[in-house]
Amino acid sequence: MQASRGMQAFRDVVSILIVIVFMFPLFWWGLSSIKPYTAIFNKDGPVYFDFQPTGQNYAVTLLGQSRIAENLESGGTFGAGGGSSYDSRQTILQSILIAVGSTALTIVLSTLASYALSRLPMRGKQHFIFWILSQRFMPPIAVVIPIMFMFRDMQLLDTITGLILAHTLINIPIAVLLLKSFFDDVPKDVDEAAMIDGATRFQTFRRIVLPMVKGGIAATAVLCFIFSWTEFLLSLYLTTSIRTLPVKISTFVTSTGTEWGFITALGTSAIVPSFIFILLVQKHLVRGLTLGSLKD
Amino acid sequence: MATVTVRDVVKKYGELQVVHGINLAIGEGSFVVLLGPSGCGKSTLLRMIAGLEPISGGQVLIGDRVVNDVHPKDRNIAMVFQNYALYAHMTVRQNMSFSLELRNAPKAEIDKKVAWAASVLNLEPYLERYPKQLSGGQRQRVAMGRAIVRNPEVFLFDEPLSNLDAKLRVQMRTEIKELHQRLKTTTVYVTHDQIEAMTMADVIVIMRNGHIEQVGSPLEVYDRPENLFVAEFIGSPSMNLIPGKIDLEAGAPRFVSSGGTPIALAARPGLTHGQPVVLGIRPEHTHIDATGELSSTVAVVEPTGPETHVYFAIDGKDLCAVTRERTTIAPGAPLRLRLDTDQIHIFDQATGRVVR
Repeated sequence: MQASRGMQAFRDVVSILIVIVFMFPLFWWGLSSIKPYTAIFNKDGPVYFDFQPTGQNYAVTLLGQSRIAENLESGGTFGAGGGSSYDSRQTILQSILIAVGSTALTIVLSTLASYALSRLPMRGKQHFIFWILSQRFMPPIAVVIPIMFMFRDMQLLDTITGLILAHTLINIPIAVLLLKSFFDDVPKDVDEAAMIDGATRFQTFRRIVLPMVKGGIAATAVLCFIFSWTEFLLSLYLTTSIRTLPVKISTFVTSTGTEWGFITALGTSAIVPSFIFILLVQKHLVRGLTLGSLKD
Repeated sequence: MATVTVRDVVKKYGELQVVHGINLAIGEGSFVVLLGPSGCGKSTLLRMIAGLEPISGGQVLIGDRVVNDVHPKDRNIAMVFQNYALYAHMTVRQNMSFSLELRNAPKAEIDKKVAWAASVLNLEPYLERYPKQLSGGQRQRVAMGRAIVRNPEVFLFDEPLSNLDAKLRVQMRTEIKELHQRLKTTTVYVTHDQIEAMTMADVIVIMRNGHIEQVGSPLEVYDRPENLFVAEFIGSPSMNLIPGKIDLEAGAPRFVSSGGTPIALAARPGLTHGQPVVLGIRPEHTHIDATGELSSTVAVVEPTGPETHVYFAIDGKDLCAVTRERTTIAPGAPLRLRLDTDQIHIFDQATGRVVR
């Protein structure tokens, strides 16, 4: 059906409105991060573009300048309070390490597991798969205290390794389940053809099936990365000196006030690594990698 | 090249037995077709020879070696699958060289063999393409190329042509047969298409419900079916079958249909008076002849070009006559028919076995 011109215009307007509604928080976030302190808190209502943009918030959180120095430069428009705990360079590094580490570990473990679950015979397989998924039903808050005690005994508290393990633990069920469905989409005939061609089970997995589910692995990796990047609860309980970004940002709510400038600056910066990661895997995020393997 | 021997092979899925003690000897270099309706166990048998299904009982030998517990990769066989099962992320060249690479063959040898296979199968222009850039027939040829580069002892084909359109199927049929005549590799080919079986096979193995019904050359199974199932399954249009009884007391032996129509028979020692039997006669041995002893009415006329199928009924059984002559006969017209007496098959009703 061909929509009339008026109808088409109406649809365009509606979709643009919807996009504006959903993009506004992100826009406001980014905008606030370049506002001076006085423009964030304005007694006459919100300030949109009527301010002198500043990089001060970024300078403090990303470059580690002290706020006192910033205040001296800007003539005291930079809010009260001092201290150097707003420097987040180390936090970003640690967050990247933890997210990349747990994503890599999750992918390695769950591709192996889900290939096995997809291909090998196993008694009670359905129950086992359900059990794996059921791990995800449980809210992390229910287990965070026990995990904390276990981590303490294993010397994993406040270590990057510990957080990588914790995030992997939460990610594995969903990754196994997702990847299994991708492996299930690759016909078993392909495995059989490879084995008749002379491949062992592992060679079949490594050289034939794995490349065929590349797209699925990329999609799963994105999900795992984003989870780890934004995870708050476990990171909060299991660390004291190591801070991931969400935990660090939460410390900007202080007894002397909420540092919206730093929160928005760090929040906006935090989008960038996820964005880069997604760009990196995006070229693998194509459907139909098994296209041509089969009849049609 | 090698022989393949199947001894008392049984396949069970839990309590369900699907292959019941099959024995089969496949000669070196022969082209054997396993033919049967779906669910007859032919693919299962092929997969047991390939090592893709565990064998529940009996033995499979390739050459003199019992291969029951040998991994498929060590059986030196090659298989072509119904859906091709190509490696989608590899080019045609990589698809074909994969098995050689796994065997650590030297680069020069791989190149030589892939080039040879490509020339045999007319795939030279497509070596750097991916499977998704190929047509169905080309993909099928890649699957065959993947099989022949290794020079295996046995080729296994699992309904390789059933996904192709009719014209391509006929073409590939000829190509596979040519390939076999050229390479002389022992071949086991599974199909449910009797034309494929008849045209390609040296030996046809007709299977039903996990049993072998008959083994023989294409013309043997066509001309001398051992039982009703084979008689009905082979041939298109299929054999005319009329149930009735044997009458030996009227002098010359004759068959009397359940509706009372008598048909003269040649003498054969196996007959007993009153025996309930089924008379079988191929449509091409059923002639439209004004002097014929049977009479009926034309129901449907199907011209196919080279021949015309004329359908009619005798005692309520729908039957067919095939004539190669142009006929002006029309539905509803009266019809007289003559049967070639020496081409009549008699099957025992109780056992289904042929009586000779």
